[in-house]
Amino acid sequence: MYHIQGSQGIPPGNMEELKKRLASITIEAPKIDLPNDIDVDQLPLSYTQNSQKEELILSYCDNFKKQFAHLYRDRKPLFMTPLNECGIEKLICTSLHPTELPYKELYTYDGAATFVSDFLTFEPLTPTTEPPNILCSSTTILRRQKGNSFDFSMLLCSLLLGVGYDAYCVLGYASRETTYMDQSREFCPLITQQEELVEVEATKEQNKYTVKPPKDLRSKYLRDQDKKRVEEIKNEENKQKEIELKRIAALEKPKPDPLHGLRVHCWVMILSGKREVAETFFIEPLTGQARSAQDDNYLGIECVWNNLNFWVNMQDCSEGVQNMIYDLGDPAKWEFLFPNVDKPLLALHQKEDDSILDLDDDEEEIKDEQIDLPPAWIEAIEISRTEYQTRSPQGKKTILYKRAKLEKFAEYLVRDGLITKLSIFDDIEMKNVLKTKEWFKHRKDKLNLRCYDHTTGKITEEFSPGRIGSNIGKMQALKEHTFQYSAPGPENERVMIFYSPARVDGLVSREETPTSMVETFKDRPDFLYYRATYFGSRAKKFGPAKKYNPMTESERPILKIVERFNRNAEKLADDDVAERIFQISDNRIQLIYHLGDNRITASKREFLKPANAHDKGVTLSMTPDMTSTFQVDIHQKQPKLRHLYEMLTSLISEELKSIDAVRASEAEVREILIDRSKEETASELSISVYDTDRNVKAKLHREELLRQQREEELHRDERELDYLAPFLAQIENAENITRSNAYELKEKCLQDLKQRLIDQANLIQSRFEKETQELQRKQAWYQQNQASMQKEDEEEYLNYCSEAMFRIHILELRLNRHKELAPHKYLALEQKLRSDPRLAEFFN
Amino acid sequence: MSKLYDTIEPAVIDEQMLKQCVEEQGPKDEAGRIANQEGIDFNEVLHLRLDFKNILKIDNLWSFTNLVRLQLDNNIIEKIEGLNTLVNLKWLDLSFNNIEIIEGLDKLTQLTDLTLFSNRIARIENMDALKELQVVSFGNNLLKSLENIAYLRRFKNLRTINLSGNPFSEDDNYKSYIIAHLPSVIYLDYRLVDESLRHQARDQYEFSIVELEQEERELENKMIKEKAIEERLQKEKRAYVEYLDGPELFDQMVADDPEASKLSYLPGLADKFVELCKEIFQFGLKEHNKREEECNHFFSALNDAKNENRCIGIDAINIFEEFKKATFDDIMLTRDVQVVEAKLQELSDKVQSLWNDLMGLEMQLVDQLEDTIKEFERNMAEMVAAFIEHIQALFAQCRDIENQHFERATEIALETLEKLVKNELEEELPDDLRVLFVDKDTITNAVTASHDAHLVKIDNKEDDMVTRVNNWMRNMTDQVHEDEVKRNRSRVLEVTHLIDHYRDEIDSIESQM
Repeated sequence: MYHIQGSQGIPPGNMEELKKRLASITIEAPKIDLPNDIDVDQLPLSYTQNSQKEELILSYCDNFKKQFAHLYRDRKPLFMTPLNECGIEKLICTSLHPTELPYKELYTYDGAATFVSDFLTFEPLTPTTEPPNILCSSTTILRRQKGNSFDFSMLLCSLLLGVGYDAYCVLGYASRETTYMDQSREFCPLITQQEELVEVEATKEQNKYTVKPPKDLRSKYLRDQDKKRVEEIKNEENKQKEIELKRIAALEKPKPDPLHGLRVHCWVMILSGKREVAETFFIEPLTGQARSAQDDNYLGIECVWNNLNFWVNMQDCSEGVQNMIYDLGDPAKWEFLFPNVDKPLLALHQKEDDSILDLDDDEEEIKDEQIDLPPAWIEAIEISRTEYQTRSPQGKKTILYKRAKLEKFAEYLVRDGLITKLSIFDDIEMKNVLKTKEWFKHRKDKLNLRCYDHTTGKITEEFSPGRIGSNIGKMQALKEHTFQYSAPGPENERVMIFYSPARVDGLVSREETPTSMVETFKDRPDFLYYRATYFGSRAKKFGPAKKYNPMTESERPILKIVERFNRNAEKLADDDVAERIFQISDNRIQLIYHLGDNRITASKREFLKPANAHDKGVTLSMTPDMTSTFQVDIHQKQPKLRHLYEMLTSLISEELKSIDAVRASEAEVREILIDRSKEETASELSISVYDTDRNVKAKLHREELLRQQREEELHRDERELDYLAPFLAQIENAENITRSNAYELKEKCLQDLKQRLIDQANLIQSRFEKETQELQRKQAWYQQNQASMQKEDEEEYLNYCSEAMFRIHILELRLNRHKELAPHKYLALEQKLRSDPRLAEFFN
Repeated sequence: MSKLYDTIEPAVIDEQMLKQCVEEQGPKDEAGRIANQEGIDFNEVLHLRLDFKNILKIDNLWSFTNLVRLQLDNNIIEKIEGLNTLVNLKWLDLSFNNIEIIEGLDKLTQLTDLTLFSNRIARIENMDALKELQVVSFGNNLLKSLENIAYLRRFKNLRTINLSGNPFSEDDNYKSYIIAHLPSVIYLDYRLVDESLRHQARDQYEFSIVELEQEERELENKMIKEKAIEERLQKEKRAYVEYLDGPELFDQMVADDPEASKLSYLPGLADKFVELCKEIFQFGLKEHNKREEECNHFFSALNDAKNENRCIGIDAINIFEEFKKATFDDIMLTRDVQVVEAKLQELSDKVQSLWNDLMGLEMQLVDQLEDTIKEFERNMAEMVAAFIEHIQALFAQCRDIENQHFERATEIALETLEKLVKNELEEELPDDLRVLFVDKDTITNAVTASHDAHLVKIDNKEDDMVTRVNNWMRNMTDQVHEDEVKRNRSRVLEVTHLIDHYRDEIDSIESQM
């Protein structure tokens, strides 16, 4: 900026010198570096030139700016007509081009905002206290995928206006974090805060017959003392916690900002009213978050604009945007550029309010004329499908939050289908990783989310429904799988949760430790809901230590199986087993029955299993001392030994079944683990049949269809060949056919056809004759040499004969057909010629 | 009749035959050995086969109460009988016999499979009780008329049917008729019914079937309506106000009164009376609901208390069980006699304390319940008393109305008599009424008698209501007390039994040591 001092402070003697000095100063317009990566020649004319209308508007704006500067000397110059990428001044309102794009996500404000924030890479303003010198068009920005907050806002505003929001760009001042897109003080929105479960106390209806509780005979004084002590401890703990929290907060507090309140920023405002927006709010374009209109990250507003008008804020911003009123029709609060815009002007106090600019006579006229804004000078915004899907440049984007790092990837970009990765850290410097969460999409193995917990060393994987293992026809239906990172093999600690309705056995979860396995079930017809198996250690083998291999290794011995059952309402409680314990190691089977109504004791029964129980073909012998029973109901008869015997035999077979089930479970675990490791190495992605770009098969199919269509067209062209064309070409004057010409044409045409028919007949005839002669010759040769012939040659001859006969027959048929059809063809052509539009007039 | 009659003596189902069959068809091997030792009770038998035995009469099967499957095929049975005790029977085979009439199946409500193949049945009937029937065979019988099929429509679960070899099977339309009329059947004469055939048959007999269905539906609707009315009546009966919602009482009053019909043209009584009856009715229903609610409150509170107590008891037992198990394990491991003894001592102390706990709990519950029951009884008595009082007041009003009516009736009667005497009466009285208007005494007597009869009716109704409500209350409170006593007994018994069991266990361990 060039400041020239006023003349009164300078002594007259120095005037000459001053004049000289001033003369030596050459004033140049400040040089503005145009972005050099733009080929100006490629851009349309509206980018490099101003139309007449635009010039008119620009002069109008100039006038406004001058008046504004005159009236409000302490205000910054208005950012109304910035230069575009070609160095041409453009009205900022015409730089917005409301556009609706064919993507569903962009129809809502949050989808559009997220998209813009993902799509563009942020470049901070330099210097941060001034608006940019150049405001590029949104089309250029889209091509470069880079921009400052102004570029973000302009693009987002165009998209939002396109889908019907009452959106505005806002130029103002914001905090350092906001202007630098620094989210490291915010919590990542993906980290769901664990909500404290509010215990819903069942409000039990006070029944007047509720029994009185038994008298409490303990000392009240002692109880109160206890309570006090507990409370004291709690208070102490709370205090400690608070102190700790304060300490951390103090540590993490940002340094004071010397430029606080001076940093220029541009964001988007959406006014209430349209698209069912109930309350005015801001959108931070750099992060894509919606923020309230009172957000304390925004410190002041200079002006706002949309594609129709430009308003200058006349309200005091000393308290940020807390008390700002967004009634754009109130000229006391918002100074407008064009008075003609129909929408917001609600209360225009003509001339009573001195804050209104004194409008010149000229402008008065213009006002009467209703200023017509020139159309947007930028072209319509276009985003191709691949660009849309790739989103961020190179498809990757990283955001740093407070104690968290978020990485986003485009779909299908990473080979294993990773789309989002979130790392959560223990400290603000982000050194100690606590947890890593990875979200996947389109994976063939249906993996959705993998979560590493680095403190416990556990990995949790979550799957979508519909997982089928490599063992075809068997639904794995795995929902969640948690295991130790250090011990991924079978027979280690792990928890698997399944989609139980999808499984035949109704399995809900399976928890394993090296010595036990607990399975829970749901909705089984046999009422089983719990099975716990306890394993012993393998018998030690002597010899060199081999690498563990579950396929060859013997199975772990089962010590005990505990099975629990739900109550089967159809049976009596004393006949309905609640718990069944197979003490396999010491050959015992214990049964505990369900409790009857109003009972507090359950019946029990115990069997000693004969040692040879599992041998085949051996009849078990049974004596009364092999069982012991406790029956709740004294009056019930002791069951007969025969029943007990039947019970024992069935229990023995049940035991075998349970063991089989446990082994099957173990096998399934191994199978799942093998599948998982295979899937991890292959990490195939599934492609939807509707995805026309990626689905190779569909693409080929479509291309094939296209090709067929093209061929079809070609055929059609051929079919419509003009039979008169060669003859017409022989006539000199093809356009005007005379009567004689027409007759001649017809004659020639018919003649030609006749000739061809005859030729064809001759050809068939000659072939027929040739074939017959050949046959005759062959027959003659055969007659001669018949005696001396080999069997093979004879066979060959016979073959030849039958083939030749066949050929002759065919030729004969064709000849006959030709003879029959030829006259018809001839007549048909004649008829056609008679009715041909070019010749028709001569033959009527 | 039978080809076997002349040659072979018919057999009788006797103890020996049954025993033999049961043994033959009973368990084998080790189980058989044990069974032989113990003997098999007939009521334990689930399956019994009595085929090719030349049985003429079904008899002596009453003790097989749990029988599920009974085969009586290839005998010479002529009459279905003696099956009434076999209520659990699901499977009955009576094929290849000489049965002529279907009967004696009314108690076999669980029956799903019935085979009457190769008999002499000419009519399908008497099977209404067999609601669960799924498979039925009438093959090789003497069924002539296809009308019989309509009877089978009532079995909604019928899936398989065999009708081949009957006279009507010769009919050309036999198959399509059956398929059309029995839409639930899937297998007919050993074959799966073809879907297209079913459509065809259905089209063929559309009219008759639609008519049939219509009739069935009407019948069903009628049943439902009757049921609803019956239910309503039952509900009103429980509230002691049956036949009070309308002119029933009045009509009854009038109906039993020989003079009333003659005096019926006298005005005034009906409307007011019916109104009062309705009031009683509404009041009765309201009070009934109140009482019911009160009872619900009471019983739910009772159950809550019992459940809570029960849970505490179960927990105590479980804790003890854990301890017991741990102690036994310890005892198994140690060989030190002193330690074992100490452990056992500790265990028996625990048993004692468990007994104390459980009994204490029970005592506590008894106290609590007693209080509650007393309170409930008091409240109920109050309620019933209030109810009776109100009802009585309403009935007193009824009587007032009747009295007023009586006075006016007398008045009108006398007036009429006077007019009659003076021959001033405009309208003609009917002859039987004219008989009453002979002189003053006769007419007065007639009116008084009618009045008395009315009053008796009202009194009866009132008495009936009051006695019934009182009886109900007495019965209910008695029941509550009785239940409570029973509950207490059984719980005490249960606890004692459990404790005894634990002590036995400890003793046996001790003796082993």
